[in-house]
Amino acid sequence: MTKHQGRGIAAIEYPTGMNQNGDPSQAWIKLKMDGRVDVFAGTVDIGQGSKTIHSQIVADTLGVPMDWVTMDTSNTDSSAFCMGTFASRGTFIGGNAVRLAAEKVRGRILEIGGELLEIDPGDLEIIDGEVVAKGSPDKKIGVGDIAGAATFVKGELISGQGTALKEYATLDPETGAVTIPPHSAISYAACAAEVEVDVETGDVRVLKLTQVYDVGCAINPTMVEGQIEGGAIQGLGLGLLENCYPYYPSAEHRGGQFGSYLAPSMEDLPELECIILENPSADGPFGAKAIGEMANNAQPPAIAAAIYDAVGIWVTELPITPEKVLRALEAKAAGQPESTRDGKVVRYDEALSMSSFQAAESAVRFAV
Amino acid sequence: MNITINGTSRIVNAGPLTPLLHVLREELDVLSPKAGCQQGGCGTCTVLVNGEPRRSCLLPIAAVEGAEVRTVEGLASGGKLTPVQEAWIHHYAAQCGFCTSGFLMAATAYLEKGGSDDHAEIAAALGGHVCRCTGYVKIYDAVAAAARGESFDLATTAAGSRTTIRGVEL
Ligand code: FES
Ligand code: FES
Repeated sequence: MTKHQGRGIAAIEYPTGMNQNGDPSQAWIKLKMDGRVDVFAGTVDIGQGSKTIHSQIVADTLGVPMDWVTMDTSNTDSSAFCMGTFASRGTFIGGNAVRLAAEKVRGRILEIGGELLEIDPGDLEIIDGEVVAKGSPDKKIGVGDIAGAATFVKGELISGQGTALKEYATLDPETGAVTIPPHSAISYAACAAEVEVDVETGDVRVLKLTQVYDVGCAINPTMVEGQIEGGAIQGLGLGLLENCYPYYPSAEHRGGQFGSYLAPSMEDLPELECIILENPSADGPFGAKAIGEMANNAQPPAIAAAIYDAVGIWVTELPITPEKVLRALEAKAAGQPESTRDGKVVRYDEALSMSSFQAAESAVRFAV
Repeated sequence: MNITINGTSRIVNAGPLTPLLHVLREELDVLSPKAGCQQGGCGTCTVLVNGEPRRSCLLPIAAVEGAEVRTVEGLASGGKLTPVQEAWIHHYAAQCGFCTSGFLMAATAYLEKGGSDDHAEIAAALGGHVCRCTGYVKIYDAVAAAARGESFDLATTAAGSRTTIRGVEL
């Protein structure tokens, strides 16, 4: 029997957005004369789906069908400002900007609808593209008719803008204390890995990853799933395969071509189980929190722990290549002291760690 | 030189050793094949040559003279997407989309040869294509669904993502 199976688990918490002073995203929405909605926001969709998700947030805030909403492709010329697509801030901060803009548009639709229906705006709601009197659903007027009346009768363009901006903190120069909470919203996740380790070849195969992500509110659950699945396979790559310097850490030995950087392929795909939890954040649009960047963090430590469970070795450097597995197994068989991991504390080879710091002439020192 | 792209014969001025990828993108304005690694390693430039998936970055045009080259532009006809394209949309199998053209052509060849929905067979057929975004799960789901002959009402797919955000009380 050369193959051994094991299971390991790791968890992550992730603070959504930049969490420092500022970090703004802005949005502008205009209502066309037929009630269709144009959204201009700077959140760049790089495949994570922010165009879809922003459109959903606008449609649901306004109460119109999603296919009435067109989000302009973000660009420097016509989009409102956005700090960027990073730090998993798109849905949380960009989404809040479009929500705030949509709330203003909604307010104006209700005001004009109230005038036309001669009903107090507070007694109206917008359902599926129609402004309807609460409690007497036959008293209603289409959002398109309201937009038309605004355009041709009132001479008004119904529009709204919104900015999501984290409050600036005042810093106490004496103590360094800040006056605002350091984080906007925290996402939590855990990953359990099941692996098979071949002690003859050092090969590790991930058989299954079970992953649980608390994202506050999955505004588009299929897209959240896409982030979790994509992150899982990136994490598998970080854990087992991906290395710019596959042999030894000097530039001459780095891979010379695309194929020498190993990224997982469809054949490496383990069984994946993704579970989405929704514990809403107080500040996110509809309670949403981050998912993007946290999605590939928990797999490597979970895989490392599973390898320990399978064959009793801790490999403390990524990626966990067959060579590192075999060397660790050899060291263990020779009775050499092994790297250990107890909770969050990693005990390095002290002399080695120190010499690498000193070699870099860094001022950083740390106590082990 | 003449090469046939998606059923239309095109005259090409580039030299015979020019990679097909460059001729498609730069001379003929056929932009679905993407230039990824340009070393044969990622699959995103894949086109079909006489029904076989080929990496157009490594293929000199001299090798395709007289052959039938197909790209994503030639898949849909009369405004109707092919079943595997519809499956891609329905299953959200594209994120950034950079790998999509190559995957679609390889999947088309796999399905035209009667490929099944078996995971190992699909992985063997598509294993040489890299996708950095999706983790392959939804790509596999799309190809398997197309292999089973499932069809999709894409209007309903849009409706699926349009449904009201499940209200979370704060
Ligand atoms: S561009 Fe041809 S295989 Fe990567
Ligand atoms: S969708 Fe981005 S690389 Fe596949």
